[in-house]
Amino acid sequence: MSTDTEFNRYEKARIIGARALQLSYGAPVLVETERTEPYLIAAEEYDAGVLPFTVRREGK
Amino acid sequence: MTDAEALPESFEHVDEATEALVEDTELPRRLKDRIYGAIEENEGATAEEIEEIVKAVVARYEDTRVDALDPVGTVSAQSIGEPGTQLTMNTFHFAGVAEIDVTQGLPRLIELVDARKTPDTPTMTVHLEEEYATDRDKAREVVWQIEATKILALGNVSTNVADMQVTIDLNEETLQKRWPTYDDVGEIAEEIQDTIESELKVATKRKGTTIAFGPEQPSYRELLQLVEELREVVFKGIEEVSRVVIRKEELEDRDEEEFVLYTEGSAFGDVLEIEGVDTSRSTCNNIHEINEELGIEAARETIINETHETLAEQGLDDVNVRHLMLVADIMTNPGTIESIGRHGISGSKDSVLARAAFEVTVNHLLDAAVHGEVDDLDGVIENVIVGKPVSIGTGDVDLRMGSGSAMKSADD
Repeated sequence: MSTDTEFNRYEKARIIGARALQLSYGAPVLVETERTEPYLIAAEEYDAGVLPFTVRREGK
Repeated sequence: MTDAEALPESFEHVDEATEALVEDTELPRRLKDRIYGAIEENEGATAEEIEEIVKAVVARYEDTRVDALDPVGTVSAQSIGEPGTQLTMNTFHFAGVAEIDVTQGLPRLIELVDARKTPDTPTMTVHLEEEYATDRDKAREVVWQIEATKILALGNVSTNVADMQVTIDLNEETLQKRWPTYDDVGEIAEEIQDTIESELKVATKRKGTTIAFGPEQPSYRELLQLVEELREVVFKGIEEVSRVVIRKEELEDRDEEEFVLYTEGSAFGDVLEIEGVDTSRSTCNNIHEINEELGIEAARETIINETHETLAEQGLDDVNVRHLMLVADIMTNPGTIESIGRHGISGSKDSVLARAAFEVTVNHLLDAAVHGEVDDLDGVIENVIVGKPVSIGTGDVDLRMGSGSAMKSADD
């Protein structure tokens, strides 16, 4: 699992999942995109690094 | 690898800057040493090259590590369970090294994770110290100290019903062979006589190498009983070890041969006391004996080795050791050996629901109700039962909104 990314796969899945839910409830999209599927938009937002999420890890 | 090789000081092409760079990484000792070794082999490298090498090694190493929140236990269970389905269900005899019968395949694996007090076929691998390992006679000396010598191996036993006498006719050659430190056969026979007297509590007569005795009161039954008991008396060696096989093996690191002993039956503590036995390399397949003699860390190591060998024997050694290490860690974690299953790990979990989910559900729930137990819902099964996200993988990510500083922004 590459470590140069900030989040591991579980965290990434959780972030995109949470964001997709927000989008499906009508949250404003944070990137320019053609897509309409919430989870695909969320993935693009994740890649762009604009999502305002923090992951709290044990001991940190 | 010897200690001298492991020390970075012994590399002439490794300078202080390199050492500082390498030692600063989170790499395990083994990999650090391999970096030194590689640099040494290529007779040094430029600072940039070294930096690049170290970076690449660190990247590769971190790549092999598991993610946080990975369900390692589940993955280990499956990774051992699948090859487990391919293991032989029956014990085949005389399949291992030497002509010693060793339990293999599934029965052995089950035996290990069940942490049985004694394995089905206990054996020891006894390595010898250098002077004993290369000399057949000296190796034999050790063999006779380990293998239990009973009367039938020493001579003829005849029962004379008319005189109510048991007569043992000892074989002089065998005596000399098995007691190589004695010069006189008579002395050996005397020792055997003493052993019989103290073990069977009878008066004996000896003439040369012939020993005779009988019951105090003439009794046919008692006479037969004496013969029966006589057969079980151990005159030399360790009672538990019924057979020792001596084998010449090539040394791993040098191009030399040495004698290695394989035993049927085990008494690890007794063997370690014997002179000439290399205590650092000798092992035993009973994890409890290892734990008693060498401690829990050695027991852990033995569990790893034994499970690995059991799988490797059947060509299934592509199971990653880390799965086996996890099993061994779990089993030895409390400082004593716990079995996996109802009587061990699974049965002693803190959570009622986790225990109930494993076996005898109603009993556990009933007991818990009687004692007013509380379940903290920390584990996986508990949460599956109550329908909450499990505390592993995506289910255990503690996500917070806001505080943009933690996310790096690509736009600004």
